[in-house]
Amino acid sequence: MNRKIRVTALVLAVLATATAKAAPDARTVLRAIEDNHRGGAGRATITLTVSRPDRRTEYVLVVWSDGEERGLVQVKSPARDAGQAFLKVGDNLWVYTPRLKRTLRLPPSGRSESFLGSDISYSDLSGRDIEQDYTARVASADAKSVVLELIPKPTAPTPYGKLTVTADASTFAPQEWLFYDQRGQAVKRVAFSEHTKIGDRLFPTRTIVEDLLRSGYRTTAVYSDYRFGVKVPEACFTLQALEQGCE
Amino acid sequence: MKTLVRLAWRNVWRYRRRTILLVLVVAYSAFATIFYWGFLDGFTTSVITAQARFVGAPVLITNVAYRDDPDPENALPDLAFVPALRSDPRVREVAPRLEFPALIRSAYTAESVLARGIDPEHEAAVSAVPSHVVEGRMLRAPGELVLGRGLASRIDVRVGERAVLDTAGEAGPQAAGLVLVGLVETSAPAVDDHAVLVHIDDARALSGARTATGLALDVPHGEEDAVARAVRPLLPPGVGAYGPLEMLGAIRKDIEANRYSSIPIIFIFSLVAAAAVTSTAVVSVIERTREFGMISALGLAPTRLATVVILESIITSLIGWVVGLAGGYATIAVLARVNVIGGLLGSTYSRAFTSLPLTEEIYAAVHPVYALYASLTVGIAALLALLIPARRVRRLRPAQAMRME
Repeated sequence: MNRKIRVTALVLAVLATATAKAAPDARTVLRAIEDNHRGGAGRATITLTVSRPDRRTEYVLVVWSDGEERGLVQVKSPARDAGQAFLKVGDNLWVYTPRLKRTLRLPPSGRSESFLGSDISYSDLSGRDIEQDYTARVASADAKSVVLELIPKPTAPTPYGKLTVTADASTFAPQEWLFYDQRGQAVKRVAFSEHTKIGDRLFPTRTIVEDLLRSGYRTTAVYSDYRFGVKVPEACFTLQALEQGCE
Repeated sequence: MKTLVRLAWRNVWRYRRRTILLVLVVAYSAFATIFYWGFLDGFTTSVITAQARFVGAPVLITNVAYRDDPDPENALPDLAFVPALRSDPRVREVAPRLEFPALIRSAYTAESVLARGIDPEHEAAVSAVPSHVVEGRMLRAPGELVLGRGLASRIDVRVGERAVLDTAGEAGPQAAGLVLVGLVETSAPAVDDHAVLVHIDDARALSGARTATGLALDVPHGEEDAVARAVRPLLPPGVGAYGPLEMLGAIRKDIEANRYSSIPIIFIFSLVAAAAVTSTAVVSVIERTREFGMISALGLAPTRLATVVILESIITSLIGWVVGLAGGYATIAVLARVNVIGGLLGSTYSRAFTSLPLTEEIYAAVHPVYALYASLTVGIAALLALLIPARRVRRLRPAQAMRME
């Protein structure tokens, strides 16, 4: 009897090890997804469409990024907002307003405001690395897609209760981020599509941010005229570039 | 003089109905004066108490620069002087606080706040807020958060859930996810709608300040300003000690201005009551012209007759003053013990005067000086009696007066 139990336990252990080896490692998958999502250093034009139940506004932005923690965004149109610029260096954010001809460093209280009236807040723009704040596990994986479930670490600076990240199973190209509140209700969806190959990365050129608590609130960002994998001059991430641009 | 007083006293009660009416007018004036000052002083005391125990501290020690620019960069240079503060026997507790501007975020919204880092072990002695936890519990350890119920409701965070505090610390932007462990409700909008309490260790980590932006002292009620003055010599240069009135800042000036602006109102009140007494005395003199003529013909000098008229006004006013005093003091004595004003008007006042640190506990004040304020009516009535009816009596010609119907 004892021998029978020991054999069964051994078989189960072998099976469990085999299964564990077959399942993708959550941290590795998350890093691969993040790498695809970042795109890398370069310059791009983004058409940002902010949709509301009663109106729709389209912005054309030019973005420079070092692919890591620094980025410069300049508004080209509409005419009333042209010249506005945003500089992110690490967690610091500066805003340049051409009408006032002034540069302001955004205080924490200002970070709750939405970026150009969209569904993206300044605090989203200065958001920390997702790997740092969440503990990931593979929720499901099949031939088509892999779904990661991210649970915030105990003192992580995120108000969300859970985040599910869906990506292509073979390329780990990001498909969807679904943010849940701490009561289990989905509150925000970020959908990625129209991926393009940049070096060994699959970068999504179309992103839709949708407020799931308010019907008709949606922001679409479409990349065009992008050049990734190029070195962006250091001068692009300065307050001077914020005011004068980086062309 | 004794005879004149007796004569005036008899005259007062010969016209009982008129006298009762006059007594009521003066009593009303005295009652209203006492009630007004009792209410006004009670309201002021409630503001100061709320400032001392809910919003600020009984005595607060801060860097002078922090008063001008409340930024954690202007925190206290060190806390080495704390043992010296305890040498004053009136200082029962010293609680460090570290306040810093922050952004509080939930999954739904965000709001800009002034977060207060506290030491949970000492805070309960200096503040009434920890005893007003209505859901969950008070802070115990780092990683926890207590919010005013109104604020928690606005950003939609429940006890047990996590909220994020973002701030700009000395080492750049900092953020922390803190678990909401309790909600406080004090009926003071400054607390209920804005309070964000975190552990002082979290506050130091987020703001980068190593000490505290202030030290709250627990001292006996009524001795706040005296203790603030007494501990000042014990403080390092550039550090000040402030009582609740000083911490009120501009609000203090408003309160004082309100007090001074009340003086003309009270004067008009007394003047109207005294005018009622005088006008009735004038009518009484006109009605009694024949009687006065006869008394005068019997040999009473016009000056003494005028004195009788003045005494009548004074007696009537004094009776009214005593009745008003009794009613006024009895009323404010009750209102000083039972929270009737706060119960009826507290929430309305809290909504109307959002800049004032008010709770729904508003008690009247009782002070002997109110009797003096209320005596103004008697004084004015006597003065007016001297000027008008007594003057008329002094000018009376007996022969002419006796012919009057």
